[in-house]
Amino acid sequence: MDRAIVVDRLVKNFEVTEKEKGLKGSIKSIFSPKKKIVHALRGISFNIQPGELVGFIGPNGAGKTTTLKTLSGLLYPTGGFVQVLEYDPWDKKSDFLKQISLIMGQKNQLWWDLPARETFELNREIYEIPRRDYEKNLEELITLLDVGNLLKTQVRRLSLGQRMRMELVAALLHKPKVLFLDEPTIGLDLIGQQKIREFIYEYNHKNNATIILTSHNMDDLINLARRVIVVDDGRILFDGALEELTNRFAKEKIIKISLSSEVDIKMIEKIGTVKQVLFPEITLSVPRSAVAVAAAEILQNFPVNDLTIEEVSVEEVIKKVFRGELNK
Amino acid sequence: MWRVRNILQVVLTFFLWSSVFRDPQTEVFGYNQEKILTYVFGILILRAIVFSARAVDVAGEISNGDITNFLLKPVSYFKYWATRDIASKALNLSFSIVEITILFLILKPHLFLQINPVILFAVFVSLILAIILFFCLLFITNMSAFWMPENGWAAQFLFIVIITDFLSGGVFPLDIMPVAFQKVLYSTPFPYLLFFPLQVYLGKIGGPEIIRGLTTSIVWIFILITILKYVWAKGLRKYSAEGR
Repeated sequence: MDRAIVVDRLVKNFEVTEKEKGLKGSIKSIFSPKKKIVHALRGISFNIQPGELVGFIGPNGAGKTTTLKTLSGLLYPTGGFVQVLEYDPWDKKSDFLKQISLIMGQKNQLWWDLPARETFELNREIYEIPRRDYEKNLEELITLLDVGNLLKTQVRRLSLGQRMRMELVAALLHKPKVLFLDEPTIGLDLIGQQKIREFIYEYNHKNNATIILTSHNMDDLINLARRVIVVDDGRILFDGALEELTNRFAKEKIIKISLSSEVDIKMIEKIGTVKQVLFPEITLSVPRSAVAVAAAEILQNFPVNDLTIEEVSVEEVIKKVFRGELNK
Repeated sequence: MWRVRNILQVVLTFFLWSSVFRDPQTEVFGYNQEKILTYVFGILILRAIVFSARAVDVAGEISNGDITNFLLKPVSYFKYWATRDIASKALNLSFSIVEITILFLILKPHLFLQINPVILFAVFVSLILAIILFFCLLFITNMSAFWMPENGWAAQFLFIVIITDFLSGGVFPLDIMPVAFQKVLYSTPFPYLLFFPLQVYLGKIGGPEIIRGLTTSIVWIFILITILKYVWAKGLRKYSAEGR
C-alpha cells in the first residue's frame, strides 16, 4: 500500500432550508421550504502516504471538517472518489473503523457521569482489543499524556485540557493507523496545547500513523506539519511543503532598516508600505520584484546603519490563509 | 412522572370498568368483570414490557449529532439500542411489579389466571414479537429526525402516546369496536403490540386465530425491518454530522 488516503475530485453539497425570522417565518418554511444548496467541497483531489502528517488549513467554512468527516465515513460524497487504507469509508466496515479515529476538539465520546476508565473499558470491548494489548496501550497513552492520576475521576469533574487528553486516550486505544484530528488544541491553555502537540508528534513517529490535522493554531501547524493543504471555499489552493507556502503566496518581501538619524517617514512611505516604526528601526514591505530597487534607493537617500531583506514569515502567510485573503 | 400517569390511568380505567360490570354476572362483548379487570392489569404489565423502549432517544441523538460517536465505531447502532431496551425493560418491569402489587392489595380485584402451558407459551411468543414490532416502529419514527431534526419529538408524541396506545388496545379492548374497523385494524401491526398477547392470555381466541395472529406479526416484522434498513440507509446519506 503506497497511499494511505486517496481523494479524487471529491464534491460534497449540503441542502439547507432557510428560515425567515419569527413564528411567521417558521410556518412559512413548513409549507414552502426554501432550499439552498451549499457547496462545501467543489472537487478536491490529494493523496497522502502512510506515515505522513498533513496540516489542513483554511478559513472557517472552507471545507476542512467536511473533508475529515467524509474520509471517516460520516458523510456521503455527492461526487468523486474517496479511499482510505484501500477501503471505501462509506461502507463502514468493521475492519476499516478499527483502523481509524476521528477526534474533534469540540466533541466528546467519554461518558459524562463515569470515570474515563469506564469509557476505555467499553472501547476495549467495542474494538475487540486483546486484554494484554489494551493494558499496554493504556499504560503508554496515560504516561505520554500524563493523566494517570485522573483515571478514576468522573469525566464531568475534569478540566477541559484534562478531558481533551482523556479523549485522545479513548480514541487511540485501538492504535488507529489513520488519525483525523479536528482542532485538537481548541480552547486549551499553552501548556495543554504543548502536551497535545508533543503527543501527536510522538504518536506519528512511533506508530508510523497517517495523520491529518486541522487547526487554527499556528503553532500546531508550524511544529507538526511538514506538508500543508490550504483549502478555501471548497477548493484546494495549495498542497506542498510548509516552507513553500511563503514562496507561493507572499507577493512581498520585508525590508528592515536601522537609521542613524531621524528622517521624514513620508519619504520612506513612497518606497514601500511601512509596517512598523520603532525608531530607529523601520519595517516596510515591498513587492518582490521591486526589492532590489527599493533597497538601493533607501541606501542612497537615507542615513542607514543597517539594512536586511527578509521573507514574510510563515505565520503571516497562515494568518492570511485563515482570513481567506490569499490571492488565488 | 409518567409512572404516576400510568397508575392514574389504570385506576381510572379500573373504576370505569368495575362500575360497568358492577354485577359479576354481566357479560359485555365477551368480558365479565373478572376478565375486564385482568385486561386492565394486563395492559399495565404489557405496557411496561412492550412500550418501555429506550429508542425514543434516537431522534435526539440524530439531531444533536451524538450518533456520530457510534457511526465511527465498529458497533451496530441497532444492537446497541436493543441492549439498552432490554435493560430498560428489566427496570420498568420491576417497577411495574411493585405498582401492581400495591394496586392489587388496595383494589383486591378478582383476576383471571391462565394455567394452560400451551397458551402461556403462545403468550410468551406473541410478547417477544410485540417487543420487536414496537422497537421497529419506534426506530422508524425516530429516524424522521434525519430529515426534520427539530421536529423529532412531535412525531414521537403523536405516534406513541396517541396513535399506538389507542390502536393497540391500551385505552379499551379493541373488540368492543365495530367489526369492520377491527378487521382493518387486525391487518396493521398495532393490535399485536398489546391487545393480541392479552387476548391470547385471556383465552378469548382459539388456536387457528392465534397462529394467524402470530404469522401476521412475523410478516409485519419482516416488512418493518426492510423499511427500517431502507430509511436508515437513506437517512445516513442525508445526515450531515453537524452539531458540536
